[in-house]
Amino acid sequence: MVYVSRKYGFSATHRLHARSLSDAENRAIYGKCNNPNGHGHNYEVEITVAAPVDGVTGRAVDLAALDALAAREILEPLRYRNLNEEVAAFRTEVPTTENLTSEIDRRLRTVWTGTFPTGTPRLEKIRIWETERNICEVSGL
Amino acid sequence: MIISKKVEFSASHICRSPQLSDAENERVYGPAANPLSHGHNYIVEVAIEGEPDPVTGMILDLKKLKEVLEDRVLSVYDHRLLNREVASFEHLVPTVENIAIDIWQRIEGYIDPTGRAHLYSVRVHETNELFVEYRGGR
Repeated sequence: MVYVSRKYGFSATHRLHARSLSDAENRAIYGKCNNPNGHGHNYEVEITVAAPVDGVTGRAVDLAALDALAAREILEPLRYRNLNEEVAAFRTEVPTTENLTSEIDRRLRTVWTGTFPTGTPRLEKIRIWETERNICEVSGL
Repeated sequence: MIISKKVEFSASHICRSPQLSDAENERVYGPAANPLSHGHNYIVEVAIEGEPDPVTGMILDLKKLKEVLEDRVLSVYDHRLLNREVASFEHLVPTVENIAIDIWQRIEGYIDPTGRAHLYSVRVHETNELFVEYRGGR
């Protein structure tokens, strides 16, 4: 078993604002991230998969298939978008790094077995960088 | 407790399997299948697990770990064409997966002669976008 990690990037806008909270509470909790005009980040997404190494190819994962999956499920729908306005999940959820990580995890898991019907590789972990200093991680199972 | 050391080497490789057709090689490896080879600056992170020695406060002597990495990995890999110049890859495609496993096998028995500390994982970064971690099959 080896663990292969692949990193992708996209840029997007968001605003952190919970509808159930008052404006003052939102400002207190989210600070400058509550700016009504929104703001953006260069997000980085790292996908880690686990699988044995194929004896013929020396590969643990079909990287072309993984890249195509990431492009279709993450990069194309999120790149250069306003997450609050243009991504259905964030019409109700606040697009924090935590919720964005869960949303990306959901998107990948929904189509994972369709892309990798044998169940190999296994989706092990997702990490999202909102900035260099702000990173969220979700592990599989 | 786990302590990690990072070293680098630069090398070229060709990702092609003689068991696959040209078209299959192109599909599986993409541009990395170029038969004329291409290269990377690889970063290797070696993680060692153990408890600090009560006298030295160290899990292991990092100078000795550096020597092991230099003697057993860097002197073999650095500025080489892996397919032709590293015996492990004579019949094995030098993908980043196989490089991580090969490095593990080269250094596992040399980490700590006293057996107090042991190799926990080998991470090999081939680019900023791709790395592999091997934990001895775990």
